[in-house]
Order: sequence, then C-alpha cells, then structure tokens
Amino acid sequence: MAHDDAGGSAPALRADRLGRRYGQVWGLRDCTLEVPAGAIVGLVGPNGAGKTTLLEMIIGLLEPTEGQVSVFGAAAHAHMAARLARVSYVAQDHPLYRDFSVADMFRLGRAMNPSWDHGMAQARMDTLGIPPKRKVKTLSGGQQAQVSLTMALAKRTPLLVLDEPVSSLDPVARLEFMRDVMASAVGTGLTVIIASHVVSELERLCDWLIVLTGGHVRLAGPVDDLLAAHRLLTVPRPTSDAELPGLTIHRTDSDRHSTVLVRADAARLQALGRPGWQADPVGFEQLVMAYLQRSPQTAAADDTAAAAAQPRPLAKEVTR
Amino acid sequence: MIWVSWRQHRSQAIACLGLLAALTVYAIVVSTSMRTAFSHDGLAACLTRSQAGSCQAAISSFMSKFSSMVNIAFWAVLLIAPGLLGVLVGAPLIARELEYGTWRLAWSQTVPRTRWLATKLALVTGGLVVAGAAMTAVITWYREPMDRLTGHFFNNIYDFEGPVLTAYILCAFGFAVLAGLLLRRSIPAMVAAFIPWLAIRLAVEFLLRPRFQAPLTFRQNCAHGCSINTGVGAVPPETGHIGDWVLSITNSGSQTVTTYQPADRFWHFQFIEAGLFVVLTAAALGATIWLLHRRPA
Repeated sequence: MAHDDAGGSAPALRADRLGRRYGQVWGLRDCTLEVPAGAIVGLVGPNGAGKTTLLEMIIGLLEPTEGQVSVFGAAAHAHMAARLARVSYVAQDHPLYRDFSVADMFRLGRAMNPSWDHGMAQARMDTLGIPPKRKVKTLSGGQQAQVSLTMALAKRTPLLVLDEPVSSLDPVARLEFMRDVMASAVGTGLTVIIASHVVSELERLCDWLIVLTGGHVRLAGPVDDLLAAHRLLTVPRPTSDAELPGLTIHRTDSDRHSTVLVRADAARLQALGRPGWQADPVGFEQLVMAYLQRSPQTAAADDTAAAAAQPRPLAKEVTR
Repeated sequence: MIWVSWRQHRSQAIACLGLLAALTVYAIVVSTSMRTAFSHDGLAACLTRSQAGSCQAAISSFMSKFSSMVNIAFWAVLLIAPGLLGVLVGAPLIARELEYGTWRLAWSQTVPRTRWLATKLALVTGGLVVAGAAMTAVITWYREPMDRLTGHFFNNIYDFEGPVLTAYILCAFGFAVLAGLLLRRSIPAMVAAFIPWLAIRLAVEFLLRPRFQAPLTFRQNCAHGCSINTGVGAVPPETGHIGDWVLSITNSGSQTVTTYQPADRFWHFQFIEAGLFVVLTAAALGATIWLLHRRPA
C-alpha cells in the first residue's frame, strides 16, 4: 500500500509474513497481522515465544529476516524516521540512564523528539509525587516504570508499545501503572500493545488479543470475536476429536466426560445439539491458557492444515 | 542531541580537564627549573656561538640533570596514555548502552540511531581533538629548553610535539567505539581496542617511521679522531646539526657512516603519520556507523 503520511486510514499495525531468524533458529515466523487503530492489544506467550522479537521489529530496533511490518503505513527501513515518530516504546525493565535526574531524562526526551509534550511529562511527575531533581537510580522500581511510561506518553505517538511493563512491580504499583496506561488511552484513540504474563490484567484492559507460541501467531483478533468462535464442550467419553464440531484446542479427560475447548465458526456451533453434550461460552483466561498449553507441534500441524484448507492465513480469518 | 551528548560525556570531559590541569601543573614546575638552569648555565649562548661541542661540560651537566626526568620517566606512561584516553572514552560510547539496555530507550526516540551516533561521534571526536591539541601544546612548551639541545625528532619526543599525539588518541577512540559495538561490553572492548592500537603504534614507530623518506647518509673521516660524541643520542648529534634524527652509526675502516633523517623533515613526517592514524580512525568509525545502520545483531 501507499505510504500514508497522515496515518488516518492505515491500520495501526500491519505485519505481512514477518519473520526473524537468529542463526539457525527462527525467533518468529510467518507473522501476519492487521491491528486497527485504537485497539488495546494484549500480547501473550511463554518466555522465548518471540514477543520481544515481534515488538522490536515493530519499533524498528530489529530488522526482519523476511516479510514486512508497517506502523500506520510507515514501513521498515525506508521510512525509519516516520516509523520512529509514530511509535513509542517502554522496553522490558524500563531502561533509563541511572545517573540522570528525572528532569535530565525529560530534557533528553525533548531533545530527541520534535513532538515532545513537556508540560504533560512534568504534570504527571507532579501528580505521582516524583521530584524532578531526583536521580533515576534513587527511584523505586514503580517510579522508574512511571518515568519510562511518561517518556513514552510525552512522545505523543499514535501507537504505544509496552514490553512486560509490570513484571518487576509489586501488585499495587502494577495496578496503578496499568490504570495510568488505560487513562491515557481512553478517549485519545491511542493504540496500545502490551506484552504481559499477567493474563488477568490483560483481560480487564484489552479488546484485542494475540497469542504467540514457538515463534508463531496462534490466535489473533478482537477479544469478542475470539470468544464467540470458541466453546467449551462437555461430552461423554469416549468421543474422538473427529466427532467434534471444529478444531480441538485443549482437551481434559475425566472418568466419564471430556472437557474440550474447540474453535469453530458460528454455524457449526449452532448445529451442535447432540444429547448429553453441553456447550458453554469460554472465558478470556481459559481461552488464553488453552492456547498456551497446546504443544507447538500440534499447533503447527493444525495451522498447516487450516492454511491448506483456506488460502487466507488463520489470523486474518479470525480478524474479520 | 548536542545537550544529550554533553550530558552523557560530561564526567569524562571533566576528568579529561582534570588530567590536563595536572599535566600542566607538573609541566610548569619542571619546566621552570629547567628554564632557569638553561639560562643560568648560559647554554643559549653556547648554541649560538657554535654548533659543535664547545660547551660540552655545561651541556652534559644539564642533560644529566634533566634528561632522565624529561625523556625516560615519562616515556612508559606517555606511550600508553593516548591509547588509554582513547579507549576509556570510546569503549563505553555504545557498549554501555548495550550493557545497561538503554539502547532500547536511546534508539526508539524520534532521532534515528545513525544520527544519534553521528552527533555523539562528532562531538566527542571534537572534544578529543581539543584535548589532544592542548596536551601537545603543554608538552611542547614544557620541553622547549631541552628541544633546543636535542631537537624533537627522536622517538618518544616526536610522539608528543605534533599532530600525531591527537591522531593516536583518535585512533584508539575509533577502535574502541567499534569494539564496543561488536563486543557489547565496555571492559573487553577497551582491551580489544588497546592491543591492536599499541601493536600498530609500535610498528609504525619502529618499522615505518624511519622509512617515510629515504634516510640521508653522513660520512666522517676519523683518522685523526672524531668528535667525542658518538652514539645515537649524542648532543649535538653525529651530523653536527641539532634536530637531526640519527638512525644508526657504523664504523668502516677510518670512516664513520651515519644514517639520519634531517631535522627539516619533522613536520612532513608528522603529517604522514598523523594522516595514517586519522585514516584508521575514519575507517573504524565509518564501519561502526554502517554496522549500526544495518544492525543485524
């Protein structure tokens, strides 16, 4: 697509068969996504699943080995400056210059970003009660995270990317941090991508979900659509996967029953009405856990089968 | 960006100024006593009256008093000092960002990372040029009385009284910046940059420098005895002209054959050697910018 300077009509994030190889190992492969502007995206996956790899390619800190990624229409290297102006990043462990004062950090932000909102940055520090003269190294972890978030917000970009922003924080600091992220996103049209292990946090915040395991996107789409496309079936034993309407994501067998989380389109779920079968809606955390527990081999085989059945990649299909 | 670079290198700049101040104080103290002795012994008059050893006693007393202080005590330190200064400033420039994870912060701002690096390199290089020039000026002033007796073409005097000193510093700096990007750690980068720097520095001094231009030859008939000054470091040198750099003296029969580089080639040699090190610096820094732009790591 054409490079859209206003970024108005372009999706916030578009990845097309994006891949990154480290030596012989693929950190991320075949990642195809289209996230609309204004979405609050939860990115979930076990350690080493490729979350940071994906995020760093979005920012432009890492070059893709194959494929393309664009932010509001600004693609890779050709529009590096345009891309950097559209995305702000709070990296894992919120790195800051330890011997800088908070005011120095903000001065750096102002020097390195034409769109810097200095008044907002200072106002946030006042609200949080962080004195600007304090050295970064004397601040608590929660305060450092807040300074990082403030720097990202003051950059005034339409996309905010957060990599494990709360993993090192205590529960209260976590809550406050996430609340502040949401407060900034509400009403501003800010698109947010949050990588996190704290699934319950994401459930409260996100309206979009991406599940990444073994370097592949297993699930991506608006949370409501994803929940609607899955059911938790309770079926008498023995019922084989082949008898079930749709793809088995996760299965637990007890003495008499099997509890199976399946993915299927609405029509097939409607048609389901065999005696002794029970279909329940799926919760966010249940859905995420089912995908995380699926072995990467099974997931890969299923995705290959799905890709063979349909020309469109799975992630796109669920999106629509 | 200028402020950012300054803020990040402020403490290094202050440490550099401190070192320079210490060097200046030392230079003033020693040089003052040297200048006093020089005029007290009337050496200036000796030099004007005749080039060839009419004041041998005065000269050797002056030399024995100051030459060890000026020529030897400093040598070991000053040989490695420019390299140390260069790697101490250069290695952390990128490696520190990689070590502490702050590269994710620095390179995700709106200023692209190549411009970030280019600005930093330009400013720090500028600072090192100023520091190098100041060091050169202080040392040249400090050695001035001694230089009137010995010239400044000798090894380890030559190294501090011209543009080569600054070029040595820049070269070590360039190597260290590149090593910092490749090794991602400050201390290993310092070591990895210093060793090749020292190897090149010594190889140039002892293998290349004497051959920048073909040396001249001076023949002297010693059938009736030569001047009492024999040896490479004699004052005045075997050639009889202060400032000539004597490379070797051989006796063949009744003749002594002296090969030397004449004093008037000093600046020519300085610019050849400085140019060589500046080219190495530019290559290392150019490679760094290119690698960071591509950054396959």
